[in-house]
This record gives sequence, structure tokens and C-alpha cells, in this order.
Amino acid sequence: MTKLTPQDLTLERMRADVAAVLHETPDSILDDDNLMDLGVDSLRALNLSLAWSEAVPLEFSELAEHTTLAGWWSVVQARLRAAGHDA
Amino acid sequence: MAAALEYPLTEAQSGLWFAQRLDPANPIFNTAHYLDIRGDLDVEAFRAAVDQTAAEAEALSLRFVERDGEVFQTLDPTHRPQLQIVDVFAAADPVAEAVAAMRRDHETPLDPTRDPLAANILFLMGPQRFLWSLRVHHLATDGFGMALLTNRTAELYNAARGGPAPGPAFNPIAKVWEEDAAYRVSDKRTADAAYWREIMGDAPEVASLAPGKATTAHRFHRIERALPPEVTARLRARADAGRLSWPDVLTAIGAAYVRRFSGAEEAVIGVPWMGRMGSVSARTPAMVMNVPPLRLTLDEDAPLDEQLIVASKALIKTRRHGRYRSEQLRRDLGLIGGARRLYGPLVNVLPFDLPPRFAGLDTTLKVLGTGPVDDISFTFRGDAAPALTLEVDANPDLYTLEEAAAHAERLAAFLTNALDAETLGEVPIATPSEAARELEAFNDTAHPVPDTTLTALLEAAMKATPDAPALTFGDQTFTYAQLDRRTAALASALAARGVGRESLVAVALPRSLELVIALVATLRAGGAYLPLDLEHPAERIAAIVRAAGPSVVLAHEDIGGAFGEALLAPADWPLDGAAPAVAQGGEDAAYVIYTSGSTGDPKGVLVEHRAIVNRLLWMQAEYGIGVHTRILQKTPATFDVSVWEFFLALISGGELVVASPGAHRDPAAIAGLIRGHAVTDLHFVPSMLSAFLADPAAKGIAVAHVFCSGEELPAELRDRFHQTVSAELHNLYGPTEAAVDVSYWAAGPDDASRPMPIGWPVWNTRLVILDERLRPVAPGMGGHLHLGGVQLARGYLNRPDLTEDRFIPDPHHPGQRLYRTGDVARRRADGAVVYLGRSDHQVKIRGLRIELGEIEAAVIASGLARETVVLAREDRPGERRLVAYLVPAEGYDPAALKAKLAARLPDYMVPAAIVALDALPTTSNGKLDRKALPAPVFEAAAGRAAETPTEKIIAELFAETLGRSEPAGADDDFFTLGGDSLLAVHLMMLIRERLGRDPGLGALFDRPRVAELAALIDAEALDFDNGLGVLIRLAEGDPALPPLFLIHPAGGLSWGYRTLARALSPRRTVWGVQSPALDPQNALPDCIEGLASVYVDHILALGAPGPVHIAGWSVGGIIAQAAAVELERRGVKVGLMAMLDSYPAECWRAEPEPDPVDAMRALLAIAGYDPTQYPELRSRAAIVAFLKAGDSALGGLPEAALDGVIRVVLDTNRLVREHHHRPFGGRTTHVRAALDHKDRDLTPGLWRPYSPDLDVVEVPFLHPQLTGPAATALIAPELDARMTAFEEIAR
Repeated sequence: MTKLTPQDLTLERMRADVAAVLHETPDSILDDDNLMDLGVDSLRALNLSLAWSEAVPLEFSELAEHTTLAGWWSVVQARLRAAGHDA
Repeated sequence: MAAALEYPLTEAQSGLWFAQRLDPANPIFNTAHYLDIRGDLDVEAFRAAVDQTAAEAEALSLRFVERDGEVFQTLDPTHRPQLQIVDVFAAADPVAEAVAAMRRDHETPLDPTRDPLAANILFLMGPQRFLWSLRVHHLATDGFGMALLTNRTAELYNAARGGPAPGPAFNPIAKVWEEDAAYRVSDKRTADAAYWREIMGDAPEVASLAPGKATTAHRFHRIERALPPEVTARLRARADAGRLSWPDVLTAIGAAYVRRFSGAEEAVIGVPWMGRMGSVSARTPAMVMNVPPLRLTLDEDAPLDEQLIVASKALIKTRRHGRYRSEQLRRDLGLIGGARRLYGPLVNVLPFDLPPRFAGLDTTLKVLGTGPVDDISFTFRGDAAPALTLEVDANPDLYTLEEAAAHAERLAAFLTNALDAETLGEVPIATPSEAARELEAFNDTAHPVPDTTLTALLEAAMKATPDAPALTFGDQTFTYAQLDRRTAALASALAARGVGRESLVAVALPRSLELVIALVATLRAGGAYLPLDLEHPAERIAAIVRAAGPSVVLAHEDIGGAFGEALLAPADWPLDGAAPAVAQGGEDAAYVIYTSGSTGDPKGVLVEHRAIVNRLLWMQAEYGIGVHTRILQKTPATFDVSVWEFFLALISGGELVVASPGAHRDPAAIAGLIRGHAVTDLHFVPSMLSAFLADPAAKGIAVAHVFCSGEELPAELRDRFHQTVSAELHNLYGPTEAAVDVSYWAAGPDDASRPMPIGWPVWNTRLVILDERLRPVAPGMGGHLHLGGVQLARGYLNRPDLTEDRFIPDPHHPGQRLYRTGDVARRRADGAVVYLGRSDHQVKIRGLRIELGEIEAAVIASGLARETVVLAREDRPGERRLVAYLVPAEGYDPAALKAKLAARLPDYMVPAAIVALDALPTTSNGKLDRKALPAPVFEAAAGRAAETPTEKIIAELFAETLGRSEPAGADDDFFTLGGDSLLAVHLMMLIRERLGRDPGLGALFDRPRVAELAALIDAEALDFDNGLGVLIRLAEGDPALPPLFLIHPAGGLSWGYRTLARALSPRRTVWGVQSPALDPQNALPDCIEGLASVYVDHILALGAPGPVHIAGWSVGGIIAQAAAVELERRGVKVGLMAMLDSYPAECWRAEPEPDPVDAMRALLAIAGYDPTQYPELRSRAAIVAFLKAGDSALGGLPEAALDGVIRVVLDTNRLVREHHHRPFGGRTTHVRAALDHKDRDLTPGLWRPYSPDLDVVEVPFLHPQLTGPAATALIAPELDARMTAFEEIAR
């Protein structure tokens, strides 16, 4: 498996990863859906954060405060910007 | 920071708060870890990072306040854990020094209302080595919070050292409180509650890995075991293949391990849930985590991948409802207070808990404690890429360190095997070394036994000692020669009737000489005997005879006409004749004993000579049986215990003493036989032994051995045995199918086993505990007990089907057989086997084996019931009774049914109660719902109303506290009725008010039922009553030191001296001396001298070492002086004689008579109140009511005792006024209340006429204060020094 780069880590990539964990299709995951209601629990979120932190340093605790894909994307964007990448 | 903020306990904190309050000395609520840091640590940057983190993490500065019965938390900046730096550089072993310091801190219990909850310490070990210790009370944070703290510190440190800018600070703790408040009133909480009731409402009784009550100890065992990378790789691969998360796979396999080891139908584990998703606490150190239960059935035969998906789905649902507190769920389900549990072991996966990354430093994290360990926790820590550590934390009250280590090793092996398995069923539980021990090492019993027969052993003994007594019944005794002649004669008659090898001879005779002759003669004829019990119904005897078809029946009469031509009555037995020569072999049948059969018909167990010879010779050797042995034969011949009773003495040259029929149920008759015939060895079924020991006739019996078997031998009975009789006690175990007994255990007075094991295998015998797939189980785990070896029966007479079912090929020893006992057992660590119960519906009553199926078959065969189920209920401990539940058929009549059952079944198999139902209750999946069967009406116990006065009050208080309209029943459980910790506090308050007793909150948790709590309170009341005797022990100390006697003041009670008594150093025994007139039955004393003389009698009766030290306060000093005079008169050496602010009688003689009301008011002073503050209390009723409402000891006195105090107070004035002192020759120590007596010239010097040697100590207190703690602190050392000086002189 190739290493995830900062450029790879997009909202759509995150949507696809979340969908895979839930055995769903990406288009069924809306930006403002409550991911916990869809079945993303802390362990799944942790695994996602570990995978994405290949691209940019991510603290699970920051992601965990949010429950929507939009919220997660905002955290990732902030981190990408802090690391000097456009997002 | 808003320091003035205040919030009640969060739901998450409440459980911990009460647990800590119940056990304030328990340090286990301290969570702690340390980080081992290697490298160039920038100590100042580190200090700044730690302090900044501590400032952001407000929870670390929490302080708890109790106000009006409620608990609040607030922030106290003085509690903030600033980094302390401790230099241990110079220590010989800096690491050991630092770790010891951490351990001391970690093991110091915290008072959350007083102590700071957290501490941060950096130990400087050397230039490149540091240990950072962080300890936080669990009320302030959970494990996730601990990880946040270390990670944040690393982030701040790294930023200070030029790393990336840190992320945002932690959220304020108030945000966590807001979430708690919002959740409490949310629809989500209501929905969560409903979800959990639905999921857990029908949960089974929770099984765990060890028996016992799961309440955290003060410490725990910790075993750590790293899992190798190939296992974590396999774990990830298997999880990925199933599109599962690897932590869920670990949890599922951990649950599978728990389910398998516990032997339960489903695993009910606790799955710690950190509660951070979508929560502000994701970035707030706080106590949020919860431990919801997880039920998993885990079909072991289904594909494991499917089972993992099922488990994963269950976990997702669990987490979705994870915020609902498990403590609340316990209350919802009524699981508080007793031994019933919500879940067993915990399985915890902590992928987030990695060591923080400090730039340029190597760090490793060592977790010292994560909070209470109720039972056992399996924690997987690490990211599995590849680091993964299995930590086993175990409650030392339930597990030894070795057991915890074995669980770690076994679970690691189970996990490794499961990751490659298609089904869970194929994964063994025992490790290979455990399996080898179970099969071989524990069963290394090979022992040479001659290839002979019981007949040959009997005949050899007859020849060896022909003139020795062999057999005694009443006043008749046969020698071995006589026995030889009579049995040979009958054997010849039997042979003449065609009896030979493999023939059956039924014997239906009462205990008598003829019975023994019949058995021995049958063997000598080459046949096997079949005993029949004359007490059984004729129908049953006839059925057995029809099924077995004996050649001859030896009986006095033809019972039920079933014997016919086969009958040979003793009257017709010849007295002479030669025994036939029979070429008997070890494989020939020796006897057949019928036992209850589950299908409705009794089944005959056929035992061969070889088997019983092994059993008898083993017992002969093991217990030194010989010519000196006299064995009591009292067991009915139909119970196989009788086999060794009959023959062991007779093959050993000893004597068999046969009890008369019926004597086996009569303890006095048994005791008479033992004493009259000098019996050395005998057997009891434990329930009969219990009855025997309870009989006064048993007291002082001395024999060589008592053997127990037939049912469980309780440890309490063992202990009672050794208190009552003098004999070795041995616990034997075995089914009829394996020649009486196959295992043995010495239950000596030093045996402390609970429960008592059935022990070790006898010669040439294997006891193996196997699982459903006939694999060995692990030590400590329940499994099916199988027996192998030479003692196995041939099988069931004429029932090859039953034989094949129970006697199976031994998969581990080709060519051999195993007998499936149906017993469930476990192996102790030392290899001893412990019996756990039955895997089927066989029960034992008074040691007799009963298949419930046989009773059910009899009920149906009566034609009066369409359906039935029979249970042995034990609604009261120790009272096991058979109950038949049935659906009546046409013409049902309970009396007729009972008569029909009695005609077919032995009396012990006839149900004690018959309950007719419209239908038998079933569970949702159609199985019989045993729990739903009602208790039969004879169970008045189930709903007994409160009876004793205390029970009635407690029952009312339960109802009041719980808001119930009806008083609770005597057996009602406070927590089952809906009580929780807060209500418990309220209840205890009411009990204090209403009963004047404070048994403590912990007592309620131990004894949650009305009757139990009332009994406890009554027992305490008894102590109060005992506290009214003339001598009460106020303190216990070195028995070699002379005690101090403290004489009561005016009220007659000496309780007021408790503080003084306990302040003495060295500790010595202190006796309070109290007025006999406290008991209204006793007369008032005539005079002080008479009273003093009575006290001297009591003091001398104790026989304590001298000299006698004596002291008293106020009037007590006057009496002490009189007692010292009396001691001197009797020639007894007096040591200390001290008066605490007492003045001679003449000071009082001229005073006006006190008003009776004022005398009453003296009670207030005795109770510790200042009477002048309560001028309104002017009547006895008012004073008594005031005292009862207060918390003084007097208020708690029973009414009669209070009467006693009042009359003693009133009488004291008379005694003092009439008293005339006599001089005391020793030294008088006078302790003067120097602040008092402003208005009167009361000085120690007034004593000089009676005590020339006067020694004065002044203390700056008032007279009433002298027995209080502050004055005691000054007085006690003065008294100590004087007593020690007197003792040195006396020496």
C-alpha cells in the first residue's frame, strides 16, 4: 500500500474511507450526517485517524470531539494548513 | 478559570464516590503511571509543559465538599499538581528508590474532601534518565484522560523545543458537567435505559472465572505479556479480511475465552467504554468512562468469521448506548447489594494508549494502576502495529498470582489458536502442559494389586484367624471359624440351586447376622449378590427382581409374591456343608446394586471382583485397617457404601459390628454402638453426620477414622466434627459405577479448604475433567468429571444401551474406557479435585441418588397428570425438597397421586409438595422455564412478614425510604426493592434516629435483607446490654501488664472513660467498674464501703497480674479510695490510686439535699451536655426524649437501663453523704481540675487526713472536662508514668 500524502487527503477520500468502514457506498454519507448514528464508534474513528495521520499529524481527540464528516474535515483542513499545505 | 463554579457529582463519578466512601482506607481508586524517559530532557521546558497541562486540566484541581448530605465538586487552585522535582541521583539504586516512592504515594488512600487528587513528580535518576510519575484519583480522570495529559505535555514540550505549534488547550471541566446535566434529562438517556433493560432484562446469572464476591480489594495482581508480532499481524489480517476492526476481534475472542472457561451458556463481560466520541471530553481529562455489559452467546460450532461479525455488531450497539451508567443499570435490574453481578471479567482494548512522543527522547510508559479491580480484567494495550501487550489485572481475593499468570498465558494461546481457527469449538482451552498434567501427572496412580477375588480374600482371613471375633450383632458374636462354617453351608445350598459364576442371588434381609452370611455365602458359591431394601415399596422390589432375574432370593418372605420358587428363607438354610469349589476370576461379577434411573426404571450396576478388590485393598493400606479394626455396619446394603463396611473388616481379620435395623437413623443408638463395641471405623453421609454431631451423645466420641461420602461434605461440618469428636475425618467420593469410591481427601482439623475437595484418585484410577469435546480442561475450570481405571463397573445389567451411553472409549488411552459421571468438577492448582455439581437432573437427598426423570416417569405412569416436571428446590439453605409440578389429567386427585407414587418409589423419592398448574411455563424459545415455577405453599419463608420488634421497625423504614405503602417482608432485600446508595444513606440515618444504632453503611451492603439487618442490630444491642455489667473492658492491651480499673462516677456507668482507656501507653487492659444497681433487678448498695468491697471481689476474681491500679473521676475517686483501703485490708498490693478531681464526703454532707429534678439533670452532664444550657429540661420525660434524640451513648440505652442510671444517680447523694473515709496507707494521686472550684475552696489537701502521701497533678480544665480528649492528653502520660514506676518497684 502506498503512503497517504497530504494531497491525497481530501474530503472525498475521507468520505470513501468512512463508507468502507460502515460497509456503505460513499454517496450515502452526507457531510452533516451524525457519524455515530451511522455506526462509527470510537474504535473505528481511531482507526481512521491513524490511517489519515500518515498524511498529516492528527490527534484522535480532536476528531473525536466532532460527529460529522464536515467537522472532521475542518480539523484536517486546520492541520493541513498548519503543516503548510493548501487545503 | 471560574474557581467559584460548583457542580454535584456527575453520574460517572457517583459510583466511585460511594465505593471510596464505603472503604475510605482503600487506595485502589488512585490511578497512576510513570513515563521512563531516556535522553537529554530539557527539565525547564518539561516543567513548563507539565505545569501548563495541569493548569489546562481543571479536573486535577477538583475538591469535593459534602453539604447537607449532598456532594459537590469545585475547583481549588491550591490543589493543582505543580511538578515536583526529586533528585534520587545519589541513591544506591535510583530506579528502585523512585519506584518505591511512587508506590508509597500510589498506595496512600486519598480523602477526596480533603486531599489534592493529583500529583506530578519528576525523579532525576541521572544525566540521561528521568521518571515522570503522574498519580490522579479516579474521580478526577479515567484512563483516556491520563493519555490526554501525557500527550498534551509532550505536545507542549515539543513546541517549546521548536516543534510544531500546539493544538488548542483542553476544554474547561464545566463543559463536561454541562454534558452530564444535559444527558441526565435527555430523551437519549430514557432510550438508553429502555435499550439496556431490553438487552439485559433476561440475562442469566453471570459466571466468571473464579467463585467469590467481586468487590475490589486494596490492591491487585498484574501480569503483563507481550503478544508477538506474528500474532498481531494475524489479528490485523483476520480483522481486515472480515472488514472488522481488530479491537473488536480481540474483544470477541476474549469473550469466547471467558465463556469457555466459565462454562456458561453465554459470556457476559464488561467492555470499558471511553465515552469520548462526539463529546467535549474528547479533549478534557475527566472521569467519563463507563463499563457497559456485553452479552455474547458465541456458537462454538458456527464459522468463527460469522461469530466475529455478530460480536462486532453487538459492540457497536453497546457503544451507541454506552453512556448509560452501569451502576444505574444495576439498580434498574435489581443487581445491587447481593452477590449478583452485571458482568464478569472485563475485556478492555486500549489502542489509543500509546507512549507519548517527546522529541529527541526515548520513552516507555508503565501503568501502575487504573482503578478498582472487582474481578479480573484483560487489557490489550497498544496499536497492534505491531505493539500489543496483554495485561491481566486480578483481584487477589479471588485469584492467586499464579492463577492470574496462567490466565495470561492461556488467553494468549487461545487467541493465537483462535486466529487460525474455523470455529471456536476447535480451539482447546488447556495449554499442552496443562492438558498433560490433567491426563497424566494428576493420575499417576499405578499400584500393584494381586489378581484375586473378594471371595479369596475372605476365605484367606477365615483361615488366618479362625478364633478371632468376626461378626457381632447385638449380644451374638461369630468367630471367623463360625462364619466360615455358616457361609460354607449356605454356599453349598446355593450351589445346589444352581448358583455359580455370573449367577445373581437377591438378598432381601434386614440388618442381621443372616444378612452378612447371605452376602458372603453368595460370593463363596461363585455368584454375585443383589441387595434389596425391605423399606422400598413392594412394587419396586418386584420390578427389580423381574428385571434382574436372580437364581435365588434370600429373604424371610415372598414380598409381593415376586420371588416364587426362588425364595430361600433363613429358616431353611443348612447349618453345615462344604463350600463349592469355584474357579472364580477377577472379571467375575461380585455384586449388582440398583440405582435410580432417569428413564423411569432403576438400573442395576454390575461390579466385578477385580474392581472391588482394588477398592478394598487400597482402603486397607491407606488407613491401616487390620486385626485391631472394628467397623460399624449401618448403611443399607442397597447403598454401595455398605460394600466396604461389610467386607473390609472381614478381609483384614478385624471385627464387623452390625447395627440393628433402623439404628442408622438414630444418633444416640449409633453413639451407643460405638462406645459399647469400641468401634474404630465408621461411615456417615454428611447430613447424618451433622445430625449426629448435634446430639449430645456424640460429644467426646473417639474413634480411629470417620469416612464421609454420598454427598458434599461442607467445610463447616468438618470444623464442627473436630470440635465434637476425636477421629480422623476422610472425605471419599465415587459413584456406584466405579466400585464405591475413587477419590479421597483427608479432612483433618488443619484442613482449611473451602470448599472441601473430593481429593485425589485411589490406586489404579484416573479422575479426568474434560470439556464437551472430551479435551482436558484447564485448572480451575469446571468440566465433566470422567473416571477411568480398574474400578469401573462392567456396566448396567441387561442394559447395553445405557452402558454404551455412560461408559465411553477413552480418547486419550486407546483400548480403555471412561465413565461419564455427570458430575461437574474443577481441578485446584495443587491437583485436588473439587466437586461443583451435576450436569444433569440427578440430585441427592440424604446421600441417596435420585434421578428426577424416574419420579417424573412415575407421575406420568399414575395416569393422573398429562405433563410434569420434578425439581429439588432449596428455597432455604440446607433444606432441599422435591416438588412435582404437573398439569392434571382427567380425575386428578393429589392424595391419590401421592399414594400411587408412594407405592412405586422409595419414600425419599416421593415429592414433598405437588403443585398443579394450567400449563408448565416456557421460555421464549419453548424450553421449560424453571425460574418461573412458583415456590410451593410450604414455603412460608418466601414471604415471611417481619416479626421481631426490630424487624418490624426496619421493615417500616425500608418502606418509608423506598416510598412503598406496605412494610417490607422479613426476607426483602433493600436493593432489590429499588434502594440505591443515596437511599441507603437515608435509611441509615432513619435507623440511627429510630433505633439509636449505627451499624454503618457497609453493613447494609453486606446484609441487605430486613431480617439480616435486624439481627445485626439486635446483636449490637446485646453488646450494649453487656456493657452494663460490673466489669466492662474499655481497652485491651498487653496481658502481662497489670490492668487499670476505672471506677464509675455518679451515673454508675464507666463508658465515659473510653477516651482515657485508649490513650494509655504502653497499651494496657483497662476495665471499667460499674454499679450493679444499673440492673433494676439488683438492690441498691447499702454503703460506699459495701460497694467497694463488691468491686474488690470482682477485681480479684479476674486473676490479673498486680499491683492493682485503680482510679476514678468525681464520685468514682471516692469509691476508688474506699476500694484501695479494702484491697490494703485484704493484703493486696495497690499501685496507682488516682482520683480525678474528687473531694471528701464531708464537703458534701452539709450541702442541701438536691432537688430530684436536679439529680435527673445530672444525667445531662453524664451524657456530655452542659446542664446550664438546657434550663427548659425539667422532667424525666423531657430529659429522656432529649437524650434519645441526641447522639450520646445514654440516648441509645434501652429503657430499663436508663431507669437504672436514673436510680443510681438519685442514690449516689445518699451514699456519699453517709460515707466516712478510712485512711489509705499508699500514695494518693490527685488530678485537680485547676480551672474549676472558683467559688469553693476544694483542694487536694482535704484528703491529707486520709492519705498522708498525697501527690497532686494540676491540669487546666474544668471538672466535667477531665475525661474528654484534651484533658486526657495531659492526664494519660501522668498516669502511665506512675503505673510504670509502681510496676518497677513491684518487680
